[in-house]
Amino acid sequence: MSIPARTLMVAATLLLAVMAAWPTWAGSTLERVRRTGVMTDVLLDSYPPFGFIDANNELDGFDVDVARAVAARLGVKLKLTTPAWEAIVSGHWQGRWDICICSMSPTRERAQVLDFPAIYYNSPAVLTVHRDERNIKSAADLSGKRVGVGIGSSYEKYLHQELVIPGAPPLTFPFHDVIVIPGDESINFRNLALGPGVRLDAIVSDLATAHTVSLSNPALRILSSVLYSEPNAIATEKGDPEWDHDVARIIEALKQDGTLVRISRKWFGADITTDGH
Amino acid sequence: MAIEQPALPTAMGAGFRRGVWLTWATLLILLAAAGYELNLDFGYLSQKLPFLLGLKLAPDGFIQGAALTIFVTSISMICALGVALITALGRMSRNPVAFAIATFYASLFRGTPLLVQVLIIYLALPQIGVVLGGLSSGLIALSLNYGAYLAETIRSGVMAIPAGQREAAMALALPRWVITWKVMAPQALRLIIPPAGALFVSMLKDSSLVSIMGLWELNFLAQSYARTTYHYMEMLIAAALIYWALSILFELVQFRLERRFARGVAVAGGR
Repeated sequence: MSIPARTLMVAATLLLAVMAAWPTWAGSTLERVRRTGVMTDVLLDSYPPFGFIDANNELDGFDVDVARAVAARLGVKLKLTTPAWEAIVSGHWQGRWDICICSMSPTRERAQVLDFPAIYYNSPAVLTVHRDERNIKSAADLSGKRVGVGIGSSYEKYLHQELVIPGAPPLTFPFHDVIVIPGDESINFRNLALGPGVRLDAIVSDLATAHTVSLSNPALRILSSVLYSEPNAIATEKGDPEWDHDVARIIEALKQDGTLVRISRKWFGADITTDGH
Repeated sequence: MAIEQPALPTAMGAGFRRGVWLTWATLLILLAAAGYELNLDFGYLSQKLPFLLGLKLAPDGFIQGAALTIFVTSISMICALGVALITALGRMSRNPVAFAIATFYASLFRGTPLLVQVLIIYLALPQIGVVLGGLSSGLIALSLNYGAYLAETIRSGVMAIPAGQREAAMALALPRWVITWKVMAPQALRLIIPPAGALFVSMLKDSSLVSIMGLWELNFLAQSYARTTYHYMEMLIAAALIYWALSILFELVQFRLERRFARGVAVAGGR
């Protein structure tokens, strides 16, 4: 073996050793939050009115206010970060983030990679159609139609008849062979506004989202019947029951002292944080 | 020695240059007219422009917008250059291990999509214990991906130098480093700079992939504002124009470098 080859082998071995010895920051979330005095919260940057960038270029919304209240209760600073949704829901955060107050529905699949210590609001899933739509009056009319949903959302699972909400009675799916079109939610709404069936026939989404969009877009119409009511949970990394317990305790306290209701009234003019509909 | 004159516009007359400017101006006016037809909300545009350009800091105190895009691209460019040099050396090495590592790396990173590489570095590495921040993941992915392409560009530039150049330098008993840096490198750079410039312009736009990691660069802000307020055309066009302006800056730098390294050829050709 010539000298450069040996040098390369040594270098490769060293590289492997460094990679193996790379410190892992995974471990107790609670311990980390206490040590650093900072709670790192992940949320969505373009999901108004839950999480969005406001006119002053600051993150704002219902989820941001809830996060602020949780951090205040813990007595720590709040750090907000906005990675892609796929990065959040795939779990295995490895200590990168401490908590997700990001409007996540606790589905069975997600529960395999994330913990859901507390439900903090309920959102009705609704159907939105174009103003001139004549044929779609309820979920039963969705068979064979092109229906837009947020990619990776629970609405996508619902249309595939796979949605199971833990702790709730099984859902009914009064449709078959829906052509599910997953994509960016706000682009879906734009496509639907082009006309009934031009690119989409309908959209399944959260009522608050549909309501916000339809305010600025008169071509859209929300059907009044609610498809199902969906709990939205706070998500944490798996494996820290103490942290989960603390989060659950804080959310309960924020419900008791009226903080959550106040935040809900501020953003929706109604209370979406009380269980049941 | 017969080395053809490089075809740079400066070599042309004033009439040619005037024609180029006039055509550019006409095309720009046509484009602006088409844009005007879209009925853009210029009030909204001017409200968001300082953020898109990165004239203000993000809420977390970090740079954002075009400033972050330039930052990510510049650092990745420097790292990619280092990676590419080492890979090109390995690619031209007679050592089988060095050659194999260089070709394996170049093949892997040229043969898989950049988006997949970004996601693997950001999402899969933590599972084996390497937890990188969003910024470093993005820089590593861009550097490794473009390093692989740039290595081939560098290699082709070096290979294109006639063997006689090295042989003549050796016959003059010049030291090895003089042969490498004073004989080979300037000639190779002349050939490497145009395709390398094209790579960096495309890296500038690919840097938008780091938005996945929650970095508030130009594309991230434009899309986020667009989705939140439904000013799609305003934000997309603004982002496109800023990217375009930045790549024109890149091209100007490339043009100057090209001219710098073509000087030797002009002298050699004029003999």
